[in-house]
Amino acid sequence: MRGTAAAAWLARRLAAAAAIVFAVVTLTFIVIHLAPGTPFLPGADRPVDPRLIAALTHRFGLDQPISTQYVRYLSRLVHGDFGYAFSQGVEVATALGAAVPNTLLLAGAALILDLAGGLLLGLMQAARARRTADIALGNATLFIYSVPTFWLGLVLVFVFSIWLRWLPPGGTTTPGLYESLPLLGRLADRFLHLALPACTLGVVGAAGTARYQRAALLETLGRDFIRTARAKGLTERRVLLVHALRNALLPFLTLLGLSLPFLLTGSVLIEYVFSWPGMGRLATDAVLARDHSLVTAVAIIASALVVLGSLLADVLYAVADPRIRRAS
Amino acid sequence: MSPRATVALLALLAAAGTAVAWARRRALATRAGRRFFGHPAAAWALRVLVFFSLAAALAPLVAPYDPGAQPAIVTLQNAAPSWAHPLGTDVYSADVWSRLVYGGRVSLGVGLLATAIALSVGVGVGATAGYARGWTDALLMRLVDVGLAVPRIFVLLFVVTFWDRISVGALVLVIGLTGWFTTSRLVRAEALSLRERPFVEAARALGASPARIVWRHLLPAAAAPIIVSAALSVGNVMLLESGLSFLGFGVQPPTPSWGAMVADGQGQLATAPWTSFFPGLTIALVVMSWNALGDALRDALDPRPEVS
Amino acid sequence: MTFRTFATTCAALGLALGCSSRGACRGDYCGTLVFVNANNPKTLLPPVIDNTGARDIDEQIFLKLADIGMSENTTGDAGFVPELADRWEWDDPRTLVFHLDPRARWQDGVPVTANDVSFSFDAYRDPALGAAAQGALARIASVTVRDSATVVFRFRERYPTAFYDAVYQMWILPSHLLAQVPRTDWLTAPFGQHPVGDGPYRFVSWTPGQSLELAADSTFFLGRPHIRRLIWRFVSGAAAGVDQVVTGQADAIDFLGSPQNIALARKAPQLTLYPYRGSNYVYVELNLRANGDTATPHPIFGDRDVRRALTMALDRAGMATSVFGPYAKVPPGPMPQLWSIWDSTIRTIPYDTAGATRLLSARGWRPGPDGIRVKDGQRLSFEVIFPSTSALRQQYARLMQAEWKTVGVDAQIQPLDQNLLLDRLQAGRYDAVIQGFGADPTPASGILQHWVRGAPDRYSHYQNDDFDRLVTLANSGSVTTAQAAADWRSAMDILNADAPGIWLAAPDNVAAVSSRIAGVKIRPDSWWSQVWTWRIPADRLIDRDRAGR
Repeated sequence: MRGTAAAAWLARRLAAAAAIVFAVVTLTFIVIHLAPGTPFLPGADRPVDPRLIAALTHRFGLDQPISTQYVRYLSRLVHGDFGYAFSQGVEVATALGAAVPNTLLLAGAALILDLAGGLLLGLMQAARARRTADIALGNATLFIYSVPTFWLGLVLVFVFSIWLRWLPPGGTTTPGLYESLPLLGRLADRFLHLALPACTLGVVGAAGTARYQRAALLETLGRDFIRTARAKGLTERRVLLVHALRNALLPFLTLLGLSLPFLLTGSVLIEYVFSWPGMGRLATDAVLARDHSLVTAVAIIASALVVLGSLLADVLYAVADPRIRRAS
Repeated sequence: MSPRATVALLALLAAAGTAVAWARRRALATRAGRRFFGHPAAAWALRVLVFFSLAAALAPLVAPYDPGAQPAIVTLQNAAPSWAHPLGTDVYSADVWSRLVYGGRVSLGVGLLATAIALSVGVGVGATAGYARGWTDALLMRLVDVGLAVPRIFVLLFVVTFWDRISVGALVLVIGLTGWFTTSRLVRAEALSLRERPFVEAARALGASPARIVWRHLLPAAAAPIIVSAALSVGNVMLLESGLSFLGFGVQPPTPSWGAMVADGQGQLATAPWTSFFPGLTIALVVMSWNALGDALRDALDPRPEVS
Repeated sequence: MTFRTFATTCAALGLALGCSSRGACRGDYCGTLVFVNANNPKTLLPPVIDNTGARDIDEQIFLKLADIGMSENTTGDAGFVPELADRWEWDDPRTLVFHLDPRARWQDGVPVTANDVSFSFDAYRDPALGAAAQGALARIASVTVRDSATVVFRFRERYPTAFYDAVYQMWILPSHLLAQVPRTDWLTAPFGQHPVGDGPYRFVSWTPGQSLELAADSTFFLGRPHIRRLIWRFVSGAAAGVDQVVTGQADAIDFLGSPQNIALARKAPQLTLYPYRGSNYVYVELNLRANGDTATPHPIFGDRDVRRALTMALDRAGMATSVFGPYAKVPPGPMPQLWSIWDSTIRTIPYDTAGATRLLSARGWRPGPDGIRVKDGQRLSFEVIFPSTSALRQQYARLMQAEWKTVGVDAQIQPLDQNLLLDRLQAGRYDAVIQGFGADPTPASGILQHWVRGAPDRYSHYQNDDFDRLVTLANSGSVTTAQAAADWRSAMDILNADAPGIWLAAPDNVAAVSSRIAGVKIRPDSWWSQVWTWRIPADRLIDRDRAGR
């Protein structure tokens, strides 16, 4: 693809992405406003004077027609104002600002474990295809891939935290101690807290990636150019690692892009089990509390991640595979 | 456990074994069947699925106790596995095995029904988009894009906040209606490629209506990936349903559900681990069987060349 | 440089960095205490706080005029400890004069004055704020300023808990910081995110949803707190909180809950268990008016005998043992163990399934084809709602559902999120709700809040004039203590006989606190109120105690 054609394609895709995000946000806005209940009720078992609720409703403009509220929301959004999160008592930007880095950290670590572990396992299996090691690993990955993540999380917390006391049961850092640790100590603290939740997510993801990678590798190994390489006398290891892997890497790249939405949704249950203060937990609480602004903000981020992820996958695929570029 | 229940359990095991053996004998006659059973996991997957499906279907016969019965909430609470209660009792003194059997009705039922709905919608939309092309295609695919952009679990949470009580039917419907997007893309791709094949051209030349062409010609040709995707989808739906039940949003008690059983056992993880271990293991086994089934089906119906 | 030298240099650097600043604090005034809480508070502004976590935190930052003592005696003023006021006297039986301690200061340096007290009273009584204490302060006619250090409370009548009402409900607020903030903005005011108080601890920082930190005020006029830092960590649920404490990540939890948690905490070597008189109680409140229509009686619960039968059908003692083990009692009314009106001679409804079935049949509820009783086409079926965050009430709901099923009653379980729940309660659109409260030390607060005519939370729509009369009498200043006790007893007898609610459990609270802390005292109504008197001996300091400045 020529430069200008590529730029035009990219521009079109970005415009489409923006349109999708816009559609999702509008949908979310409508749905959350139609849901019964009000965001102003406190969490405790005591009533609030209905006049107070009416006053707050009026003050935050929630008694106006949806269209007016929508327009006002959009105009504020353009200026970077995401609104006020009633359920948290702070601005949406503040609440998200505290939660997003945690989710990124967890998902990033899990993603690394997922892709690296999956690639390794897939390679090992393809190298010993159909032999005992492959079958055993295959069954293991199948089992781990099928395990419910929340159950695995509970089991791991019990074994490594309550029983063995090797790792902390939740949270991102050791309270009271973290801030005063030296750099190395802080990294170690974060690492220890990250270990269990990232492993829970990462191991299950790695099992899935391994299955996928094994299939892709085996398919590539059956192709003609591999037979040629073997006929030329190359070692099996070189055949596998250099030739087969490079070709099988292409779908792997699309996995990378498509895993971006996993950043939010895959971690909801894990964040609950490990008290990880991330976006998943925040969003769940926000939906339950009818926190309009927070829910809409999360919808924006989530849908943006999804469309950008698939866009990234397409771009990586096009960059890596010249045939795609030529075909477009 | 009562003699009736023990006999029923043994009968189930025997039935699962013989049914699969019979199916295998019949299947080995065809090439696809041989490829299918070439997977060692395939036979086991079938046995597990037949076992749990029969158990769920014949629950009143198989379960030794009423799943909602709480015979002795103080003395029989969290009892360890024994002859009377092979998998122990939970925090309400209910028999875990009986609850597992009845829970299969919800978990498997929701999995199969929701997948059926997702499949129907996905196939319908995908085939229409792929065959019609043009504006219809563009519109439908944009709809799919929006659908894929919304995280599924949040849609489900939205629904929960709309309705006070989410019945099994509503749950099935919502899970089904949020899960058809990938299938539609798959079917659309197949439809697009099959559209130009000679047999479709011939049918068009003979004056067949688009609907007939899609139904009679396109879909059977595209059947393989659809079936594989269906098998894998059931496993996914089961994991989703158990996650929702774990968070407290699935079916309400006294209807047992495997995910809710894990949630019940959460507080007793240290003192009575069997209350959450067995339900979790069951979910893993059944989902694993669906995945293995999907793998084997893919090999049988849609083979790819592999290294020998 | 070779890989080996590179590695050794890194290791050496690491060691050097790691060994520095191991912890600067030593001695008697160190210590970091970590608490766990399952709810992230929205605001810390006292009149509008919404949960017990916020209450626990405000307890450290703000002061009351006087605080209740460990004896929890709410009658008269003998059981109270001076705080903001260092002395008081009664000018006449309805006029109470407080003299503020001249050393009292807000944490920004401004002295605490009588103006702050009258300002606070105004705020707590303002309907625009909807403070929970509004009703409790109704019998105080006025709070006026005599001079900058003297404030005068005038009551509408004489009654034994007058002093308690004057001091317990209000944390005194800084008028110089809040006077210019319009009351309607208080719920979202920035002060709620960075409060300035006059108590033993200062607010330091708050990461919403994650953690909150307080630091000891070394110039606190009643004595410097020994424990330098207090940190609250917000977790996703009670189970997560217990895990944190058991593994040593947190230092204290106020309510372990289930016997399994208590066993787990007992096994943890670094924890000491502190049982204390429970201030919580759990009960089912029945809607005596129709679901969604307060003008007509409820088809099931409108009948007193049916309510009694439903109570009879439940093995409340068995359920309490199942849920709490030996750590709970079945209360003789909607009260925690803490209240003085707890009296085992109150006539309660016994557990009697045979009697229940007899009574139900006698009232016309005959078993239908599916086993559920029917009367005039109406099935004996109703919905039991409760907050979805409470695993405890979920457990009770399951137990009750099964027990009721055996007598032909169909109960549907419906957990709701707090928002929807309160909505339905206030609109009267429910059948039965499982309520759970942590109570004030006086019976008046709970009973007057829920059961008498005009009570703000009277979701049951219960009405009994004899009951109202007895409660008002017992609560007034016109009877002797002995007579008041007798009146309360008679009132409870009536309440039990009418059964507008089913009293489920009043748990013993068992708290777990790190063993390294000395001088631990837990006051049942506000468990962390004495934290500023606790200390950690210098030889028992751990890493996080020593950390920081």
